Amino acid sequence: MSEKLRVVFWLAVTLLAWEALGRWSPWGYDVISTPTRIAAQYWRDAVLYEPHIAATVRSALLGFLIGNAFAIVAALLFCRFPSFEAIFRGINIALFAMPPIVIGPILILILTGDWPQIILAALMVYFPTMAAMLVGLHDIDPRLIDVVHLYGGKEFALTRFVRLRSSLPSLLAGLRVAASLAVLGAILGEFGSGVRWGLGTFLLGSLGEANPARLWGISLAAAALAMIGYGAFDWIGARVGGATTAVTLAAARLPDQIAGHSRDSLTRRTLLLIAAIALPFVLWEVLLLATRLSPIIAPGPLQTLEYLFVGPDAANERQIMLQALAETLPIAGLGLVAGLAAAFVLAALSILRPSLVRALLPAALVLQSTPLIAMVPIILLIFGRGVMASIVMAVLVVFFPAFVLLAQGFALVPRAARELVQVYGGGPLKQLALVSIPFAVRYLYVAAKLVAPRALLGVMVAEWLLSGVGLGNLLNVSRGTLDYGMIWAGALISILISIAAYQSVGVVERLVRSTAMV
Amino acid sequence: MVEPRSSPERVDVNIEGVSKTFITASKAVQALAPITLNIARGSFIALIGPSGCGKTTLLRIIAGLEKQDEGAVLIRGQEPEAFRSGGELGIVFQDPVLLPWRSVRRNIALPLQILGQSVNAQERRMVDLIELVGLGGYAKSLPGQLSGGMRQRVAIARALVTDPSILLLDEPFAALDQILRRTMNLELQRIWMARQTTALMVTHSIDEAVFLADKVVVMHSGPGRIADTVTVPFARPRAHDLFVTPEFHALCDRLAIALDSGAGQR
Repeated sequence: MSEKLRVVFWLAVTLLAWEALGRWSPWGYDVISTPTRIAAQYWRDAVLYEPHIAATVRSALLGFLIGNAFAIVAALLFCRFPSFEAIFRGINIALFAMPPIVIGPILILILTGDWPQIILAALMVYFPTMAAMLVGLHDIDPRLIDVVHLYGGKEFALTRFVRLRSSLPSLLAGLRVAASLAVLGAILGEFGSGVRWGLGTFLLGSLGEANPARLWGISLAAAALAMIGYGAFDWIGARVGGATTAVTLAAARLPDQIAGHSRDSLTRRTLLLIAAIALPFVLWEVLLLATRLSPIIAPGPLQTLEYLFVGPDAANERQIMLQALAETLPIAGLGLVAGLAAAFVLAALSILRPSLVRALLPAALVLQSTPLIAMVPIILLIFGRGVMASIVMAVLVVFFPAFVLLAQGFALVPRAARELVQVYGGGPLKQLALVSIPFAVRYLYVAAKLVAPRALLGVMVAEWLLSGVGLGNLLNVSRGTLDYGMIWAGALISILISIAAYQSVGVVERLVRSTAMV
Repeated sequence: MVEPRSSPERVDVNIEGVSKTFITASKAVQALAPITLNIARGSFIALIGPSGCGKTTLLRIIAGLEKQDEGAVLIRGQEPEAFRSGGELGIVFQDPVLLPWRSVRRNIALPLQILGQSVNAQERRMVDLIELVGLGGYAKSLPGQLSGGMRQRVAIARALVTDPSILLLDEPFAALDQILRRTMNLELQRIWMARQTTALMVTHSIDEAVFLADKVVVMHSGPGRIADTVTVPFARPRAHDLFVTPEFHALCDRLAIALDSGAGQR
């Protein structure tokens, strides 16, 4: 009871402080608005919210169902046939790393009605659910395999009696993340699809109005939708039990955490690797053949390369693309480094001041699953439409997930190791330098892999909606001018850059590890 | 008893020149030198030896969970895979390895379900079995609600549910404290005597081996091989007062020396 009272008390204090600042500070009305104004705006906009929210919820729900159905079937197949997982690795990494905002415009070219945003939501929920479930299916006591084999049971019996049920907590942790991503996917899809209803449409239409209370309202509504989905699966997860720290960490899995440890020969591994790299492009061609779209609207992989390198206007298009990349990449890199550094320092400080983490972690847990779209209006109000908006966006989307992961990493430092320093009279700083930081550095790599693609996404969203420069803007403009080649080329390039960023963290990690060994 | 030339119908397990080498990335490790051992029907055999002497590997080969490189294992004349298909083997590990979401009763029923047998048809036996391992009244509890010793009793009941003719125990009480361990030893003897099964137990503990076994097989490592086989003469049922008798200590000392003699040969 006292805990609840405390929450209510601080909530009341926050709202009052917000109200006071909004009313009497110089940047009150234009930037932070006030709770009462936002509430009043909600009241006036109630008629608008109803269809907008209904449309977004519908798209998110359908995408959630479709994406997760594929994810669960895929996890079962990958667990049963590890070669399958090896062949699909390219697809999995691409789906993990893709900035979803670049997929939206493509989906709009091939699909109609609400389907672009539904499929975008489905594409976004697939990886977290699949990865969480696959890890859950794999992660069983090997002696249970012995028990099943002893009574003549095969893989089917093992899956039925052991794997399925023991993957449930992990699956629910994945669905929790997927639920908030489905909302983000639906909203991102609505940006480009030009549908009449949806929170994305509402947001896009309201960015130009000088109505901070409405922007705050949309932002909070989007965050609330995502949190309801997250909370629902959190609640079910708590009911089912077995929700441990390990499961929380499992909620955000990386492609290399699900990769099986293969004992295949080098030839076989090489063949599987080639298949894994080829499959996304083959699938791309097959999908285009199936949709029977004109190659002008929907070029295949080769035509897309042609557009950039051989076509009549190739030099010019390349110039535009490079220009956009030069604007986007430094900011994404800066945001990534700054966000990671801030998260690492703060998580490390938590060793010195544990109360800091206790206060920050719940907020970070909530904010890491808030769709980044919800941050856009607030960033617009505070930072305007300049480069600063892009940087802040990148830092924010990087910081929260990285902090959650690193704080958990620091919490896993063995207590005995820290006490060893203490026994010899070492203070907290010595502990940090000798034990905790060296131990937790490995989580920095995990965090970097997890957030590197997000940094690019954050910057591109800011560019698309706010600053009007860079790759995000290029895609938005190409959509308007029907420059189909650029839409496809931009998507391909940004996905490849994202994958490269992800893989290069792994390369850096291996380099550092191998030099540290010497 | 362990008699190399005993008549076939009295021997349950024939192990004939069984060897095993594990190939790792960097080197090949010979876990078992050729081993020959016969286990008489209804006897209780303890395997003791230092870590890495291959006792668990031998147990797993008998269970058909691992395949030997050379030699043969025959259980009542059959290969382990063929013999175990009807639930004729039961196994207990160091940890209970239960399914945390299943009640005690449903954990015990797991082997029946894997074998495709009806659990309800054997309701009476399930109730008796739960009583036998001293868990009456806990049939519906979840493993998380039980103590370590109670969970291990569930694991023993699970191993017994198919009424196996051979029970394999891989350091079943190593995770328990000494006091509980002695109680469980007494319980295991009672259960084993009630069921008339052949038991093969791997253990690190000399006094546990002497207390429970008819024969103690001492293994040495590098590569794993049988160094000595010692018959335990004490009458059954054995009780806790056996632990304080001079005969018991004399036998334990003898085994300690037999174990030690292999320590220098790593």
